[in-house]
Amino acid sequence: MVKEKNESVEQQVGRRDILAKIASAVFASLVAPAVLSETAQAATEQQPTQQTPKLPELPPPKPDEDPLIRMMRDLQRALKKPLEKRRWVMVIDLRKCVGCKACTVACIVENKLPPSVVYRPVLEEEIGKYPRVTLRFLPRPCLQCDNPPCTPVCPVKATWKRPDGIVVIDYEACIGCRYCITACPYGARSFDFGDYYTEGTPEIAPVEKAPSFEYHRTWERKGNESPIGNARKCHFCLHLIERGLLPQCVTTCIGRATYFGDANDPESLVSELIDKPNAFRLKEDLGTEPKVYYLI
Amino acid sequence: MQATILPITLPRWAKPAYYVVVGFLSLVGVVAVLVRLIYGMKVTALTSPIPWGMWVVIYIYFIGLSVGSFLMSTLVGMHRYEKVGRMALLSALFALFGGMLFIWIDLGHPERFWYIFTRWSPTSVLAWECFFYLFYIVAILCKLWFLMRCDLASLAESSEGWRATFYRFVSLGFRCPKTASEWQRCHAQSMRVVRTIGIIGIPIAIAVRGGTGAIFAVVAAKPYWYTALFPIIFLVSALASGAALMAFLYAFFGKRDEDYPEIVKGMANFALLFLTIDMLLMAAEFLVGFYGRIPEHLEVYRQILFGPFPYTFWLGQLFFGTILPVTLISWKRTRQSVFWLGVAGLSAVVGIVAVWLNLVIPALVVPVLKGLDKAFFQPRWSFYYFPSFWEWASTVGLIALIVLGFSIAYELLPVFGIVEEKFSGGER
Repeated sequence: MVKEKNESVEQQVGRRDILAKIASAVFASLVAPAVLSETAQAATEQQPTQQTPKLPELPPPKPDEDPLIRMMRDLQRALKKPLEKRRWVMVIDLRKCVGCKACTVACIVENKLPPSVVYRPVLEEEIGKYPRVTLRFLPRPCLQCDNPPCTPVCPVKATWKRPDGIVVIDYEACIGCRYCITACPYGARSFDFGDYYTEGTPEIAPVEKAPSFEYHRTWERKGNESPIGNARKCHFCLHLIERGLLPQCVTTCIGRATYFGDANDPESLVSELIDKPNAFRLKEDLGTEPKVYYLI
Repeated sequence: MQATILPITLPRWAKPAYYVVVGFLSLVGVVAVLVRLIYGMKVTALTSPIPWGMWVVIYIYFIGLSVGSFLMSTLVGMHRYEKVGRMALLSALFALFGGMLFIWIDLGHPERFWYIFTRWSPTSVLAWECFFYLFYIVAILCKLWFLMRCDLASLAESSEGWRATFYRFVSLGFRCPKTASEWQRCHAQSMRVVRTIGIIGIPIAIAVRGGTGAIFAVVAAKPYWYTALFPIIFLVSALASGAALMAFLYAFFGKRDEDYPEIVKGMANFALLFLTIDMLLMAAEFLVGFYGRIPEHLEVYRQILFGPFPYTFWLGQLFFGTILPVTLISWKRTRQSVFWLGVAGLSAVVGIVAVWLNLVIPALVVPVLKGLDKAFFQPRWSFYYFPSFWEWASTVGLIALIVLGFSIAYELLPVFGIVEEKFSGGER
């Protein structure tokens, strides 16, 4: 693309023209790799390019810094490793969760989820009897099982576990049979029926029609096109973490109850947390080996 | 064992009226399918936790009728029942079409159905199931053609106009032998082929039906489905529904000759046998489930017996699906009447829909995690399901469409031997 432009430049006469063309060619050569790597990444979702986009700049480490900064640092370290060396895990401290459901909402906004889809509901359990009552909250993202029951049942290989452990769905391959939804022992998969929250009002809110950027792609909501008619699930905000940002639920958590990082990195915050005896996982007896740990 | 045959003579307007009604309902079905294709899955009352509903139920129901009919055409190899063969195969074929149609409209992206063959996944029971359908449909068509080829050829010669073209087309250019001895040889050859396909067809049909059961049985997330008995129950219920369908069809639309009462009786007895085994298996499931006391498992039984739709079990599954047909077939005052045996067949065929409803939906109604049902308040995240208007319309309409197709095929195709009658008739 750049070469073509340079060739055409030579045919021009005016010096001003030449300079303008060269400038645009230089600009194009700067932008092109970014654009190309974007499309290449989209084309090979299964193996995103090792080359990561520009990561956010972080302040120098401090002894008692916000865990979010520490986790972003962990994240950047993990992104420098090849895909298969990363092992993304989430840790949720149930003692810190106040049940505000900000994570649920932030996730809906981030991924433009319709009413039928929820990636991270917060389960509530009431303990005791009035007046001695307490509530326990249990946020439930996709547990990104190491041995996922949802992927082998797919008849069209539209869902699989990536080398870094995240279970993804290829919206363009999914036929919408919903077998995976029934196979998940955690209810972590939803079906996109194509509804809108503001359906039945004079106008569907533009924010609901806004595209989602899941899997490094732009998904417009129109007609019956994907992701409408597909199974959908939490993907640890893959499109954010591969750009050096934390999943939306982690960033939004007001109590810093949700942690995220690379469990293969012994220096990471999550590695410190999941080695403790107060960590447990949901329905471990099923042998699903979830990668979401709860702290009690 | 002389059965009394009630003379069932219908008034002259009955047939056109029947076609008008079934044709109208089919039209409703076509419209409903169009609505579903244009507006997408939002026309259903399905939710994310209950993603499989009416259409999946009717899909497994039709596959059950198909496999049941097919195995009836093979298993009952006794000479006496050979006359049922073509009818059974025809119903197997149309029921299979029905099943395909229902699972097709159930897909979130129906336009991608062919991915199942291009992106076939060997780890998925559903993918294997679709793979078996290919063999199964070939087995049905081959068997049907070899059974009918002589009659089709002779019809192609004797009829005129579009019928002649139609028969020539479906006979694939086969010529009917003219003399009795030639026919005998040809018939013997046909029968050999039919028997071979029939035998090859048995494992295919069992794979198809067992596979349908296995789709559910392999889901470890649902204790109610996760039992090795599931594919067996699917198979036995399919056989029961197939035999019942044959009893009903042959009682009302069979050929009234000297074998007629015996055939209906035989089919009804098969239905009785399989219904009884089915009851036994269900009882085993229920008792073991109750004794195990796994909360999610127990809750499914509570939903079935005392949930929001208890009549599905008590009236549908238990009364129409089991008690009424079993009584009619075994009680000495009704078992002598072809009419009542036909009614018993119809009752079982209708009641078995409730069996499939109760095998699929209650398992989904129970949340997989405690509190999941109260975690997200949206109509599409409800743990309650009752089919929407368009689901009802498409279900009734598409069933009517399949019935219409079967009726037309029944009238056009030689369901009862013609040439055989001509040649073997003289020998008797």
